[in-house]
Amino acid sequence: MDLRSYGEVGALQIALSNSVSSIARFQDLLVSLTWRDIRVRYKQSMLGIAWAVLLPLSMMLIFTFVFTRAIDARAALNVDMPYALFAYSGLVPWTFFSASLGGCVTCLVANRNLVTKVYFPREVFPVSCIAGAFVDFCVAMIVLVGLMVYFQWTGAWHFTPSPALAFVPVIILVQVTLTVGLGMMLAMGNLFYRDVRQIFGVAIQLAMFVSAVVVPVPTDGSLLARVIAVNPLVSIIGAYRECILFGRLPAAGGFFYSAAFAAATAVIGVIVFRRASHRFAECI
Amino acid sequence: MPEAMVRFERVSKRFRLGESHDSLRDLLSSGVRRIAGRDPAPSRETFWALRDVDFRVDRGESVGVIGPNGAGKSTVLKLLSNVLRPDSGRISVRGRLAALIEVGAGFHGDLTGRENIFLNGAILGMSRREIRTKLDAIVAFAGLEQFIDTPVKRYSSGMYARLGFSIASHVEPDVLLVDEVLSVGDAVFRLRCMDRMRRLVRDGTTLVFVTHDLDQMQSICPWAIVLDKGRVAFAGSSREAVAAYMQAMSRSYAKRGLEIESDSSREAVTIHDLTLADSSDATIVWSRPGDALCAELRFTLHRPVPRLIVELNMRASIAENLISVNSGRDDTFFDGRPGEHRVRLVLPALHVAGGQYLWNVRMWDADTGVAMVDTPFRYPLVINDGGRATGALCLEHYWAHLGPAQTADADAAGVDINHVPKAQPSGAAS
Repeated sequence: MDLRSYGEVGALQIALSNSVSSIARFQDLLVSLTWRDIRVRYKQSMLGIAWAVLLPLSMMLIFTFVFTRAIDARAALNVDMPYALFAYSGLVPWTFFSASLGGCVTCLVANRNLVTKVYFPREVFPVSCIAGAFVDFCVAMIVLVGLMVYFQWTGAWHFTPSPALAFVPVIILVQVTLTVGLGMMLAMGNLFYRDVRQIFGVAIQLAMFVSAVVVPVPTDGSLLARVIAVNPLVSIIGAYRECILFGRLPAAGGFFYSAAFAAATAVIGVIVFRRASHRFAECI
Repeated sequence: MPEAMVRFERVSKRFRLGESHDSLRDLLSSGVRRIAGRDPAPSRETFWALRDVDFRVDRGESVGVIGPNGAGKSTVLKLLSNVLRPDSGRISVRGRLAALIEVGAGFHGDLTGRENIFLNGAILGMSRREIRTKLDAIVAFAGLEQFIDTPVKRYSSGMYARLGFSIASHVEPDVLLVDEVLSVGDAVFRLRCMDRMRRLVRDGTTLVFVTHDLDQMQSICPWAIVLDKGRVAFAGSSREAVAAYMQAMSRSYAKRGLEIESDSSREAVTIHDLTLADSSDATIVWSRPGDALCAELRFTLHRPVPRLIVELNMRASIAENLISVNSGRDDTFFDGRPGEHRVRLVLPALHVAGGQYLWNVRMWDADTGVAMVDTPFRYPLVINDGGRATGALCLEHYWAHLGPAQTADADAAGVDINHVPKAQPSGAAS
């Protein structure tokens, strides 16, 4: 039988050593919470899980309409593939990213009842938000395949299967790592300062347009281009397109930068979250 | 040497008063001030919820934690379940701990009862496999076989509570924390909950039970800790603990006195105070069961009421009235001329069990039937019976051992109930 001690002394050491093992120990809780989020999201809804596809799909249609029908910006955008394919292939990982973080921001505050009354590793909350969004991501990915088949059939796009597809899980891993780090910081930040949710709402709107989701980012070496290049999402979302649509590996430099950025974010996020988590119940 | 399952070593916990940083603006301004080298804003007042609390609970023991509101009971539980961390001191817990702090804290209304069992079970630390094997037992204990696939938002609050308790009590932890959860549900369910807790204790679970219900606590915990203002005021047998708790309570009332604000003057009557005294006319706030009680009411009438009815009621906490005496029902009407009056009520023997009681005052104009005043239950009376009696009443009683059933001449053995001394409830006259 294990003896657990907690006091003001040594709390940090215990916290750090427990972080990974306790997540594993509470796997069942993670599964239950994730499943709860998914269940609840699609309960009393006629279309259910279809919404996972309908949301990025409708966004794709809106942007396609705006950029190719309302105004014809195809020349200015300079996209080297059918715009609908470009938009959807960006929107699927983007929706995964933004929905995960959107869930993380409020996950602790929304579960105040549990945070103030029952103990278990608080990491479970942001991680389950991400896991829930991941399920939607997988469903939406299937539709991307359908879209590629459609454009292949119309002749607008030519796709050749390639071993580069095997790299997709690595891209997903990098994205998840980045999301975990940011998600923990946001969840914790919003617990202490509710402003975080408002700021997040604005920032995520901006981020969409500087992450090569529906409009390509400038690469002309200008100041703006260099600032935007700091954004790790640019090469993550770019990497999905490279691997899936073009069948080639992403440019190493940019992708390594994103991977390192993601790893650093996750380490900082997890440590800071762990250190602050004992104050959650009183500060919420 | 018994194994300590729970141990508090000089544990202190402090809370900041007032709100913590409300917004980023506060953080920024205090940060700027610090960078500018100016004194940071004065730190807010703090409040010690617990001060140097020391205790241990050994394997298989069940310990009650009692104390007035704000004594730190819930803080102890939250520290134990690791939701809060102490500011100083050390807490050790051995084995799996489950907290039954709020029934159904983790329920989600849109999920069915079955789905919530899995969710809540996982929250309380059970594995999915474990839940699957216990599912039928949980449903059966809650008595919800028929409704288990209905979303819990359609449950009544009693069903909700039953399901919550049933899940928590099937966790089979090494240490079980229970906080005031049994106040919900009907009487039968409460009894079954107590029964279930007793069985868990018998099977080796260590129990820490926080409650206001002293009867309930005594019926399950042989030991108790009394907390008062964040310190351990007493630790020992639960009977002595209840007595110590009562005494602490009567002291605090005696200190605070019974200063009660007057009712607004536009009313027909102003109640000044209700003094509760024993037969020797000394003002008291505590009394022993069976003692005489002399209640004296002082009030001023602002208009004449030829036939005034006075009613005094007493109840224990939120329950129904335990005593209600009404002068009108006793055909006693007071001649209420304007001015100050004093009305006295004598109860020669107040046979209520130990506990904290509250009184209120009502008055009517008998001619018009108009109620003139109905105060809140705010006049306290603490009865200290040394933790002996539970239940509502403590009647005069005597014990006699009439001998083994075979002995036909038990009556002849000399038990004369008229001469049995007032026995201690635990002892038996032979």
